[in-house]
Amino acid sequence: MDIAELQAYGFFTLTALMVVVLYGYIYHLYTKKKDADGHDYEDYSNIALKDDISDTPVSAISEHKEK
Amino acid sequence: MENRPLEYDYTVAKMFMLTTILTGIVGMLIGVILAFELAFPELNTILGQGLAEYTNFSRLRPLHTDAVIFGFTLSGVFATWYYVGQRVLKVSMAESGFLMFIGKLHFILYVVGVAAVIFSLLAGVTTSKEYAEFEWPIDIAIVVVWVLFGISIFGLIGIRREKSLYISVWYYIATFLGIAMLYLFNNMEIPTILGANGIGEAGFGNWWHSVSMYAGTNDALVQWWYGHNAVAFGFTVPIVAMIYYFLPKESGQAIYSYKLSLLSFWGLMFVYLWAGGHHLLFSTVPDWMQTMGSIFSIILILPSWGSAINMLLTMKGEWQQVAASPLIKFMVLGSTFYMFSTLEGPIQAIKSVNAIAHFTDWIVGHVHDGVLGWVGFMIMAALYHMSPRVFKKEIYSKSLMAAQFWIQTLGVVLYFTSMWIAGITQGMMWRAHDEFGNLAYSFIDTVTVLHPYYTIRGVGGLLYLVGFLMFAYNIYKTMTSGRRVEESELQSASPMGA
Amino acid sequence: MFHWLEKHPFFFAVAVFLVIAFAGLIEILPNFAQASRPVIGTAPYSTLELAGRHVYIKNSCNACHSQLVRPFKSETDRYGHYSLSGEYAYDRPFLWGSKRTGPDLMRVGNYRTTDWHENHMKSPTSVVPGSIMPAYAWMFTNKADIETAYAEQLTVAQFFSVPYNKPVPMKDGSTMEVKMGADLAEANKLALEQASLIAADMKDQDVKDAVANGQIPEIVALIAYMNSLK
Repeated sequence: MDIAELQAYGFFTLTALMVVVLYGYIYHLYTKKKDADGHDYEDYSNIALKDDISDTPVSAISEHKEK
Repeated sequence: MENRPLEYDYTVAKMFMLTTILTGIVGMLIGVILAFELAFPELNTILGQGLAEYTNFSRLRPLHTDAVIFGFTLSGVFATWYYVGQRVLKVSMAESGFLMFIGKLHFILYVVGVAAVIFSLLAGVTTSKEYAEFEWPIDIAIVVVWVLFGISIFGLIGIRREKSLYISVWYYIATFLGIAMLYLFNNMEIPTILGANGIGEAGFGNWWHSVSMYAGTNDALVQWWYGHNAVAFGFTVPIVAMIYYFLPKESGQAIYSYKLSLLSFWGLMFVYLWAGGHHLLFSTVPDWMQTMGSIFSIILILPSWGSAINMLLTMKGEWQQVAASPLIKFMVLGSTFYMFSTLEGPIQAIKSVNAIAHFTDWIVGHVHDGVLGWVGFMIMAALYHMSPRVFKKEIYSKSLMAAQFWIQTLGVVLYFTSMWIAGITQGMMWRAHDEFGNLAYSFIDTVTVLHPYYTIRGVGGLLYLVGFLMFAYNIYKTMTSGRRVEESELQSASPMGA
Repeated sequence: MFHWLEKHPFFFAVAVFLVIAFAGLIEILPNFAQASRPVIGTAPYSTLELAGRHVYIKNSCNACHSQLVRPFKSETDRYGHYSLSGEYAYDRPFLWGSKRTGPDLMRVGNYRTTDWHENHMKSPTSVVPGSIMPAYAWMFTNKADIETAYAEQLTVAQFFSVPYNKPVPMKDGSTMEVKMGADLAEANKLALEQASLIAADMKDQDVKDAVANGQIPEIVALIAYMNSLK
């Protein structure tokens, strides 16, 4: 097996893997709609809209400290 | 300390805002000079024969691209990072003396680097690789600046209050990683002083001179893998980071679909790097790489449009804001130009189109509708949005901003239409044969025919520069004489004076 | 899994890096050895030619002139045989350019002479009416940097085994040798020998005098480089 063939196999497997992962991601996003912490993904838009230093974070880092 | 409420600290952001405006003026001014030198070659000796070496087109051309890329755009990226980063992570730079120090050091070294670049390019010290012209001592300085930027990003992330990283932060991280990887690999070079020492004599020749680690076709391959993706990670990724923050914030509208923004991110990351091969179609790199470059360029439309459409739909139901606010106009037209140039690019990457377009002004036109229309508009909009917040002043003049918008839009349109015509005309003339199979035109015929388009392009560029000066003036007046504003006015739409 | 990445910046960065590095790994790395093999008839640059190449780079000639002939009839009619990968084996950096404001120069040595270049660099419009190329008057007075060129020759000979002082096969079956000086004095002497040959074909008296006095103006080195492009 020469280098070009290796390249071709490498390219094919990795691309196929990436496609599976990306579609898996799409499936995950649109079926679950919420992440593991129970936040709706769309809520994260509020990170930009409510970004004063006194605003409450969408998912504060301290909530999770004890985990 | 206890009785003073914590506030975001924009010291470093302000510093980079200054360099954004200064290097923007320098880069665009040189661009306008270059444009007119092509139309009227006498201008090459505008400062007399003695200085002709330094006012000559060929000496100024790398200075223009680098001033705009590494000056204007990178400053804009840094300025917005030091602003957006704090806000979406909900942590102030004032909370960490270390990060404050790093931020200031980052700025100082950056300015030193920019000065070194300007002097070395004027002196003709260049490696000739586009957007990577700097010799090894400056390369090392740039790496240090970049590492400091990285420390800033990850340092701020390390002390954040918001656990989840906002989509803009993803893009900033990708900018940091992408440029770091590309820059390092493309600038692998051996200082020639090492070879000179090899024969036992004291080093001779210029100490800063180096020779590329790659030769010929390999060098071209690495260079355009870099060149194409420096555009990706300098002109696309960080600008998308900006629009994902500034458009929702300024309009008060949540992103149309946050999920779509996440998807487009991964799509863009995966696809973009493959497309570099489209700069080398019909060259001596292997055919399969050229084809791959073509195909991936076309696939690239999807993630690019994913982001752009997401931005336009964010304005859904709120289109009256586009009419009312010149600031929103800049961003909406910016994302429209983004869609436009990410469609134009893949078209040029199709092999049969590329056969005509490559080496012509159509490519120059493509670069500029992306950079003037998308990058320039977005960075100016970001700075306009930041000004009232960092200076606690109302934006000096809304009508000036509106006038600037229309002048610059006209400039961009003149620019790319004239370059389209010039490029396609020249591409067709190069390949034209008469009925006996001889070339129909000598090369000079295909140059003189471009004069009117070069003139129009120069005028378009000049209009854009005039608009940029209006922008600089508006920001300056905001700093010095704008009305003071209260925190409550800064929730979404930026306060503007008449 | 996805969500976990989004909240762990370090691993997130690693994931982004892997995704973006993937293309370079597959596409670029494996082709290296193959593409850098010289074709028969390609010889390394002499000291003077290399100094001329530095003049070419210093003045960003590559901003307006390509050195890449694409395999189309219109291009081979105009510029000669289309480019082959191995012809660039000694080009560090490559100078393909990305814009043809002026014509391609890949094989300019085949159809332009020392005399033509001298007149053209002094006043482009006197040779090509309507040309928008600026004049390069300072090249007739600035001196070429032979020392740096020689340092570069030593560097590429040492690090990349570029065959100086070794026989290189030519197209007609013969071999030729590109000489490189053993020390700086010899390198200067070799460069001056080649420069005298070029100056003999030139008209500018100041340039001739300079070369006679052992100095090499940039224009002489540049023309040596131009003439080597075939």
